[in-house]
Amino acid sequence: MEACSLARTIGLWSLPTHPRMFLSQVFRVLLKLLGLPPSLLKKFLKHEHIHPPHMESEVGGLPELPHELLVDIFALLDIPDLKRASSVCSSWRSVYTSLCSLGLYKRPQTPCLFYTSESAGESVAFLYSLAEKRSYKLTLPEPPIRSRHLIGSTNGWLVTADERSEMHLLNPITCQQIALPLVITIEHVTPIFDEAGALCEYHYSRHTYGPYGLCTADRPSILALDELRSYLYVKAFVFYDASAGGHIVVLIHNPFGQLSFARLGDDKWTWLPQHSFFHDCIYKDGLLYAVTAQGKILAFNLRGPVVTTELIMDIAKDILDENIYIVQAPCGGLLQVWRTQEASQYVEDAGPAIDLTNTRDIKIFKVETTAEKLVGIDSLDDHVLLLGHNQTLCLSVEEYPHLKANHAYFTDDCELYLFGWKNNRRDIGICDLANNTCEELVSPQPWSNWPNPIWITPSLTRL
Amino acid sequence: MATREAGKKMIMLKSPDGMEFEVEEAVAMESQTIRKMIEDDCADTAILIPNINSKILSRVIEYCNKHVPTTGATGAAASDTVAPAALAEDLKIWDAEFIKVNRATRFNLIQAASYLNIKGLLDLTSQTTIDTISDNSLEEIRSFLSTKNDYLPEEEQTIRRENQWAFQ
Repeated sequence: MEACSLARTIGLWSLPTHPRMFLSQVFRVLLKLLGLPPSLLKKFLKHEHIHPPHMESEVGGLPELPHELLVDIFALLDIPDLKRASSVCSSWRSVYTSLCSLGLYKRPQTPCLFYTSESAGESVAFLYSLAEKRSYKLTLPEPPIRSRHLIGSTNGWLVTADERSEMHLLNPITCQQIALPLVITIEHVTPIFDEAGALCEYHYSRHTYGPYGLCTADRPSILALDELRSYLYVKAFVFYDASAGGHIVVLIHNPFGQLSFARLGDDKWTWLPQHSFFHDCIYKDGLLYAVTAQGKILAFNLRGPVVTTELIMDIAKDILDENIYIVQAPCGGLLQVWRTQEASQYVEDAGPAIDLTNTRDIKIFKVETTAEKLVGIDSLDDHVLLLGHNQTLCLSVEEYPHLKANHAYFTDDCELYLFGWKNNRRDIGICDLANNTCEELVSPQPWSNWPNPIWITPSLTRL
Repeated sequence: MATREAGKKMIMLKSPDGMEFEVEEAVAMESQTIRKMIEDDCADTAILIPNINSKILSRVIEYCNKHVPTTGATGAAASDTVAPAALAEDLKIWDAEFIKVNRATRFNLIQAASYLNIKGLLDLTSQTTIDTISDNSLEEIRSFLSTKNDYLPEEEQTIRRENQWAFQ
């Protein structure tokens, strides 16, 4: 190891821009070398015309790294380390800000389980890291996270529904929150005002527009502000397509699991009629792919002024008892995943120890689009699935070494609990796809059963 | 000036403090910046490396000498007698020794690696900074990296609260 000369270092490198700061650093080091107390520093700095003596010694630490280089280095940090680094000083914070706002932070993040706990408070949530096998505690903005329903999770963004059934996008890492278009702009919802002109209830219509024209399943209902969300929302997503106007929130909602979407900045939801019973969506190559309860796949093109629809694959089955997911296959095509849950108890709010449903079987199919058929596959090899209310993910263990190959990490997305089984034990675990045996994710479970825990991939993207 | 010595093309690198280093072209070309200059025929005379002092430049050259692919470099381990895995292991140990430098030298090396575009050296030097951030408390990071806490007390409190979860 060679000594680095202080004088040369000073001479050749760009130094801290503030001369006072520079002087104070020099003196701090000198005082340390001379064994003097740091209180003398202030005394020295009071003298205006003080010059540091030339001294050859290995002190170091004087050059600062330029902003651009720190950006490169910070891009390699984990999110918690990055957050800590941003707390060091204001210049490091500006590095962190650049990294987020310029979208330069691209480190792949192992998904975490987002959950709340009754004992931790109404606005507190936790991230259980599958990589570190530990939880981080987050304090989130209003309205309290425990008062919301969690209806979606894509790329680090949660979609939540509050006590007035209004939706927000929330990034729990950056705490950025964006209100989505009002729920009354959804086709099936109209407001009811009281005498004073304040919104008091919602009118919820159960109609759809099928191939044979308008059909209505039932009489419309009148629902309380916080009641609507239980009936209306199924699952929500946030996708990005520059050619389709930027970020698009896609919502599967009732009646009949229909689709609506809104671009970020829109003031209303746009309904996509004609099709229903959707379970899951992905966005790929400029198209929105949506799969129905019967395995039918449709592709919507949201880029033009008029939405066009293409049938990718017709109905694959008649019965409707599985949860169906759609995900991009490792090789680039599409996979369908059928998850069978067996209902073990139908005792309303029987208590937190009772399972409502248990994942029994997970089947995976490759979608052969040209032949319009599904081909069952036995193994995902070195890939894993993340199933639940999140955007379905298929990840490679090569990139995410903390995950178990050929396993499915699942959370509860059974709709039954929305109507009364909120306190029951949630169906969360890890399923070995080789033999369909399930194990617990963590024991004892740290989460409260409601709001339902959800997978999230932490992200620093700003919208 | 590019000269020929024992059949190998030599390149002259000059530091701003007036020192000259004659290195094999293959070694110098570990730096993508220098490679570009050579390929663009801008390396006929000595190449001035404007912001890297001789002490750091000599260390950078030492690194490149060690890391230049064995074919064509004099004095490098004969690749046909040593297994590649053993070579890689040897290089890793050498790197670990190489990076045992003080903070100022390390920062200078990061800047040099960035300017000269030497990926391996940039990764190596950056990683040590990352390890410091990952493994230590805020106060330790500040003291190791001589970074000053310039937040106002109330500002720091807000930032602490915002990022509190990362400190658990």
